[in-house]
Amino acid sequence: MSYRISVDTGGTFTDVVVSDGTGASVIGKALTTPQRAFEGLSAAIRVAAESMEISFDTLLAQTDVLIYGTTRATNAIVEGKIAKTAFLATQGFADILLYREGGRIGVHEFTRDFPRPYIPRNRTYEVRERIDAEGAVVTPLDETELRGVIRQLATLSYEAVAVCLLWSVSNPRHEVRVGELLTEMLPGVPFTLSHQLLPIMREYRRASATAIDASLKPLMQEHLNGMERELRASGFKGQLLVSTSIGGCLEAGAVAARPIHTVKSGPAMAPVAGRVYSTAEEYGGDVIVCDTGGTTFDVGLVRGGEVVHSRDTWLGAMYTGHLIATSSVDVRSIGAGGGSIAWIDSGGLLKVGPHSAGAVPGPACYGRGGTDATVTDAALVLGYLDPANFLGGRMKLDQAAAHRAVTAIGEKLGQTTTAAAWAIMKVADELMIGAIHDITVAEGFNPQESAIVAGGGAAGLNALSIARELGIGRVILPSAAAALSASGMQYADIVTEESASRITRTNDFDFAGVNRLLDELRERQQAIVASFKGAFRDAKLSYYLEARYVGQVWELTVALPMSHFEGAQDIAALIEAFHQTHERVYAVRDPFGVIECLNWRVRAAVDIARPLPTRATATAYTPQPQRRRPCHFGPDGTVDTPIFDAAALEPGAVIAGPAIIEEPTTTAVIYPGDSAAVSASRNYLLKPTTGSAHQ
Amino acid sequence: VKPMDSQTTNTASLDPVLTTVIANRIDGAVREMSNTLLRAARSGCIAVARDFSCALVTADNRLLSSAEGLPVHVFGSHLQTQAMTSLHKDIREGDAFLHNDPYLGNTHSADQTVLVPIFIDGVHMFTACAKAHQADIGNSIPTTYHAGARDVYEEGAVIFPCVRLQRDYETIDDVVRIGKRRIRVPEQWYGDLLAAIGSARIGERRMKELCAKYGADVIRRFIEDWFDYSERRAAQAIRELPAADVENEGHHDAIPPILTEPVRIHVKLHFDPAGGRISVDLRDNVDCLPCGLNESEACAMNNALTGVFNCLDATIPHNAGSFRRIEVLLRDGCAVGKPKFPHSASVATTNFGERIISIVQGAFAKLGIGFGLAEGANSHGPAAGVISGTDFRRRGAPYVNQMIIMANGGPAGPIADGWVTYGGPVGNGLQYRDSIELDEVMYPLIFSHAKVAPGSGGAGRRRGGPAQDVAYGPRRDSMTVVYVCDNTAHAPKGAHGGHSGRCAENTLLRKDGSAEVLPGLATVVLEPGEFIRSIEASGGGYGNPIEREAERVLLDVIDGFETVDRARELYGVVLTGQLHDGTLAVDGEATAKSRKHLVPRRRA
Repeated sequence: MSYRISVDTGGTFTDVVVSDGTGASVIGKALTTPQRAFEGLSAAIRVAAESMEISFDTLLAQTDVLIYGTTRATNAIVEGKIAKTAFLATQGFADILLYREGGRIGVHEFTRDFPRPYIPRNRTYEVRERIDAEGAVVTPLDETELRGVIRQLATLSYEAVAVCLLWSVSNPRHEVRVGELLTEMLPGVPFTLSHQLLPIMREYRRASATAIDASLKPLMQEHLNGMERELRASGFKGQLLVSTSIGGCLEAGAVAARPIHTVKSGPAMAPVAGRVYSTAEEYGGDVIVCDTGGTTFDVGLVRGGEVVHSRDTWLGAMYTGHLIATSSVDVRSIGAGGGSIAWIDSGGLLKVGPHSAGAVPGPACYGRGGTDATVTDAALVLGYLDPANFLGGRMKLDQAAAHRAVTAIGEKLGQTTTAAAWAIMKVADELMIGAIHDITVAEGFNPQESAIVAGGGAAGLNALSIARELGIGRVILPSAAAALSASGMQYADIVTEESASRITRTNDFDFAGVNRLLDELRERQQAIVASFKGAFRDAKLSYYLEARYVGQVWELTVALPMSHFEGAQDIAALIEAFHQTHERVYAVRDPFGVIECLNWRVRAAVDIARPLPTRATATAYTPQPQRRRPCHFGPDGTVDTPIFDAAALEPGAVIAGPAIIEEPTTTAVIYPGDSAAVSASRNYLLKPTTGSAHQ
Repeated sequence: VKPMDSQTTNTASLDPVLTTVIANRIDGAVREMSNTLLRAARSGCIAVARDFSCALVTADNRLLSSAEGLPVHVFGSHLQTQAMTSLHKDIREGDAFLHNDPYLGNTHSADQTVLVPIFIDGVHMFTACAKAHQADIGNSIPTTYHAGARDVYEEGAVIFPCVRLQRDYETIDDVVRIGKRRIRVPEQWYGDLLAAIGSARIGERRMKELCAKYGADVIRRFIEDWFDYSERRAAQAIRELPAADVENEGHHDAIPPILTEPVRIHVKLHFDPAGGRISVDLRDNVDCLPCGLNESEACAMNNALTGVFNCLDATIPHNAGSFRRIEVLLRDGCAVGKPKFPHSASVATTNFGERIISIVQGAFAKLGIGFGLAEGANSHGPAAGVISGTDFRRRGAPYVNQMIIMANGGPAGPIADGWVTYGGPVGNGLQYRDSIELDEVMYPLIFSHAKVAPGSGGAGRRRGGPAQDVAYGPRRDSMTVVYVCDNTAHAPKGAHGGHSGRCAENTLLRKDGSAEVLPGLATVVLEPGEFIRSIEASGGGYGNPIEREAERVLLDVIDGFETVDRARELYGVVLTGQLHDGTLAVDGEATAKSRKHLVPRRRA
């Protein structure tokens, strides 16, 4: 038997999914151990091994692939525990990381300090050199001065160096030379050169990615090496892969050389999982993937079977945080979840979040001293949660405390406690609907053509009401909803991607230059793939172009229908692909506009996925509820509602709303008129009624 | 006149949940309009610097939503839609109008607005507005800010006084031909116009969907509820202020030859917490001047409102409902009020306008410590200049565009230090900043530097935002730079013992290394090898500097905002150790002693 293990090390829990060759899988969960990640990881694997009734040693010895996801990089940044990093910039431009690209959220906001740069100004050094937009040297690199700077870096014991010089994308000569001198004079100190990491125009984006990458190198190299050592010592002989923000995984050594790809890699895996569940249930290639936790709601997209990527991923707030800028799975987060606090503003309107009660004190019903009403309290008041059976009975909820907290909101609104609880749920729905709107409609996608895959502990409370509001007819609540990211890793491809700039226009196309560049990118990707151990060498290559109408500033990414340009018909196909994308996103096309091509990207994806579970057809039947309790459903009033235990449901079960399904880690609310079915793969397929506004 | 009220059948208030839901959907539609305009536009000032705004206005011309738009652009949208409804009696579905007339409710001629009336079941219910600052507007000189224009004729902008741009969703080519003939770099202008049409049509599509989902009657009821709610929020915030009548004034620099003397700008604020109202009186100001600096009606009103909202709870919705609580008094024929045709309002959005914002903030500060803000920088020198010339890399093709790489340190307040990328009172930190590389690839120029000027922010318990030091010049052919810069003589003021910011200083750096100081108003032709440099103004401080936490002063030095000397001299903070080896630290004992010594010298 050969197993595959995927591990998602979260802030609180480490989730493990173990699958065998047949597609069957087991989940293990343990507390994360930040000091020594291997302990939490091995504890979670032990839990899984126990339920599989084999020993930990046997499981590890028979595992051929282990995919490791870690928040180590993200946490190090948030906690300020990155390496002591020097930033080298072109003379005169030392404040790139401070100014960013301008902009902020909040029109009349004067109560926040301006955020500090990613690397402080006193660790920023200027290099005398200058290259122009076309790559010509304006000021030669002053090596004497540079050597002086590097000697200073040695004296001050810097642990990493980030180098971002202006126009290194059009002529990398100076950056390359800086790299040579760093290798010579600071042996063993890792560095990142911007043109190698992210060869795109716009100095802030490149500099930010470069600084983040360099600052993580010492830490992540040590962390990943250590993890591999301990796994080997425990008898693991298979291949260690690490999950990345690009929505795939890579060999640990390759990741250690580009650790920026592990930043926000956890949330990136949820859309990968969403794609798998939607395919398995034959729900198509257009999926909105939501992950609702205690404090945040994450949403990502799958379009036409491809996970949607973006270069605008920020650590912290948009505009004022730090831009990651490498192509990552587009996941948007808002402050809305089970712990979000309800409050009344000075105009008398109900608001939910962005403040959260967190785990401590937590919602009022946790009985840990919290008095603010949260979404979880509202769900308890409405009868959706069982106070005696929360988290599979591991936690008792204080119904009276929830009632008191929600009543306080109701009094301010002049409403009954039940009406106030319903209102809190609806306002929380609205926040999530807004987030989905921004990632779908505002980007030119119609959500009604998609399915929703809902994950996270609080997902089942309102997946159906959100779907109904958005006019979405199909929702999957996976039985492994609470470990969505770890499940996604089970099906992740090995993905590597590289981009390079070549600016050319469709009315004067540089056939030779573009073909040469695409060939180079392809060869490099193939070389990376060829270096993989084992059988994973069968790569699927995809080609992308970032382009715009001449005179525009922002690029759109277009999937290229070709990998080589022969003549006029290829250019015509490229132009049409761009027009279509532009019209979809911005509602207009410029039929006479010339297209400027900027960055070319080649992605190699090696399919290492296990075969998907075969979709058996389950025979439909109507299950009997385990018990009943009164639940409130807004305009439909309070209904004596059947409650189903997940363990008692078999594939094929069909349940008509109103009903509640209680899983150990999540609760699915089936509203009146809605329905749920248990699929052959044991996922819940939820269907909202159409037409009813349910306000 | 509120024609919609008569159509409203259901007068009961909606429940608070539905109000929240619909408000979010409408804001979402405006955000989507903005995203479309930003990403699809061609010129740097729209696509890079975000010098545009979108709004939705009701059919009876009340501002409904402006999401994250620039206040100076959107607060007056209702004046423009009013022009549309009063000039055109045959409005129908599929129409679009082009409006940039400052005498008919627009801000200034450079801000072209596309207005799309939105029909629900055959009834005009909303108007979508997409306003964007054009790279060029056909002025007699290549700038969209013609400060020297004696009148609208010398200004020379192509003015479209709310003319029909589309009928039945088809563009009327006559209008496009007029623009293309008179506006420099016509293809860029046309691309931006297309982006604005796309944006307004997105607004139309979303509002139709919204009304289809909830029914027009529910949406009508929502509009009244939402305005009432917004009004309550504003009234509540005003009730927390003391009752007072406050006057405040400041001066715009003299900028010879068009202004030989500084111009006094005066505001009178009446705070009526009991009634929950504020009035801002701008009538005690000079008459219209024979130059382009006069305020349009929209700008005067918007800037007064911006100053007020900057000092209130930032989460109050900004729409016709909250505006009911704030009265702005303007005078016909006043330079800071309603311009009298043909006086030019070419530069209405920035210079006098930004002074209004800062002076209103200063009036709030006079209510006591904890209220109001200091003044922020509004020096729109070369970093905000309009550049033009020909590009040797594109066979001599002409270019013209506004640089938007100013930082203009923001005002300090009772809680926070001044914002670093404030950009000026009108931009209010919302505008994006040009990328050095993008500017250099789009235009034949090269930057020599763009960095913080150390020790520049107005000292205070809260520090003003620092000034930026920036310089650029042409590469192979000459380049014209036009700008009109305030703050070269009258620095942004501090409040409650906070120091003033620094003045702006603009210079021409010649090839031989010599520097020539440039005036506040300049049209400069730069030769290859020459650079134009701007050390901008910085924000004023708030509160006494010796009350600033020593740790904050230390961070300021580490971050390059302050110097070790100024830390000691202005803040009384004594530092030990070295900046670059990470050993810099506060000497607590010496600092306490030094601060005791500084007390008698504290400024009033």
